[in-house]
Amino acid sequence: MGFIKGTAGFVRFSVEGNLPENIWDFIADRITTFSFRDIDDTYEEDSLGWVSVTNMFDTEFDFASYAAGNYVTLLMRLDERKISSVIVKKFVAKEEERIKKEKEIPKIPRSMRVEIKERIESELMRKAPPMPSVFDLCWNLENSTLIFFSTNKKAQALLEDLFKETFGLNIMQQIPYLCGEHLLDENEMDKLVKITPDFFV
Amino acid sequence: MDLVDLIAEKRFLGQEFLTWLWWKSEERGGVVALPGEGDIVVVFEKHMLLEYGEGEFNEKLICRGLQTELQEARTGLVMGKKLEQARIQLVYNDYEWNFTMAAALMEFRNVKLPKTAGSENPDDPEEREGVVLERIFLFEELIRIVLELYRVFLKLRVSDEWRSELLKMREWVALAGKNV
Repeated sequence: MGFIKGTAGFVRFSVEGNLPENIWDFIADRITTFSFRDIDDTYEEDSLGWVSVTNMFDTEFDFASYAAGNYVTLLMRLDERKISSVIVKKFVAKEEERIKKEKEIPKIPRSMRVEIKERIESELMRKAPPMPSVFDLCWNLENSTLIFFSTNKKAQALLEDLFKETFGLNIMQQIPYLCGEHLLDENEMDKLVKITPDFFV
Repeated sequence: MDLVDLIAEKRFLGQEFLTWLWWKSEERGGVVALPGEGDIVVVFEKHMLLEYGEGEFNEKLICRGLQTELQEARTGLVMGKKLEQARIQLVYNDYEWNFTMAAALMEFRNVKLPKTAGSENPDDPEEREGVVLERIFLFEELIRIVLELYRVFLKLRVSDEWRSELLKMREWVALAGKNV
């Protein structure tokens, strides 16, 4: 967060490849196709997609709310059902105790323990409300750069996949070495390839 | 070379840039000349993280404190550590940004934008777009200035003048060691 208000953390990406001629129609179509789908009333484990930058419940994008000048602004939303391993362990142990009493057996066979664990995990997963996380992005169509407002590596990897799936374009994180490609001429870049670390003492 | 290898092999570039920028800032009391733009204020403050070595031999040194002289950080430089993170105040054209730069990947963290008037009616779509565009401008302006500073460093780094620049930096580090 931090794009619309407050303090922000971000990294930069370059967007590789070209968009079709009717850019805004294409973008509108692709964003709608890959907009976020709610999983509150389903049993799905997770869901990833685009929502409006000012409202995480807006997947309609009325009046092209993602467009600001020559920029596309979006929120990537991820909802995930998560259960702590401690909780799984507790309910598995509880169920094993119940079965041992019911069947009057001292020990539960290994195959049955695996089945119990899988069943309990799936039951708990269904009950767990999905946890939402949102990540802002701002795509500059003029110079094909993108600011992603998170320094979280997992979120960055999800963005790379979702962006590729949505727009058919790869994005490349602009680490200091790759920034050099936009700041130096060819001759200087050849030298940059070869340099090694220097010491300041 | 793929991105993972590039990050590992060239992470020193960002760290050398940040260390160089610290020296440049101290050289003229918090002012750095940017070609074509004039003098801008670049002050290193509050928080620094230095590192040395890789993998299991990686050592980190964290220094914090409002307006401290960052003595520990200076000692770190003398020990051969490089600057990985620093809190920076940047002032240009009446705008002031505060941000932490994580050097190896050039991540901008805890970025505080310059104060602006804001919106009186945030629900109005046109005003909202205005606020968004203003914020984008301020983020992109910060990036542009940092990249211009980085361009100055990179051009020097691959030029013949780098040797003399490096000697001056070593003198500064040695001096920092004597003052500790």
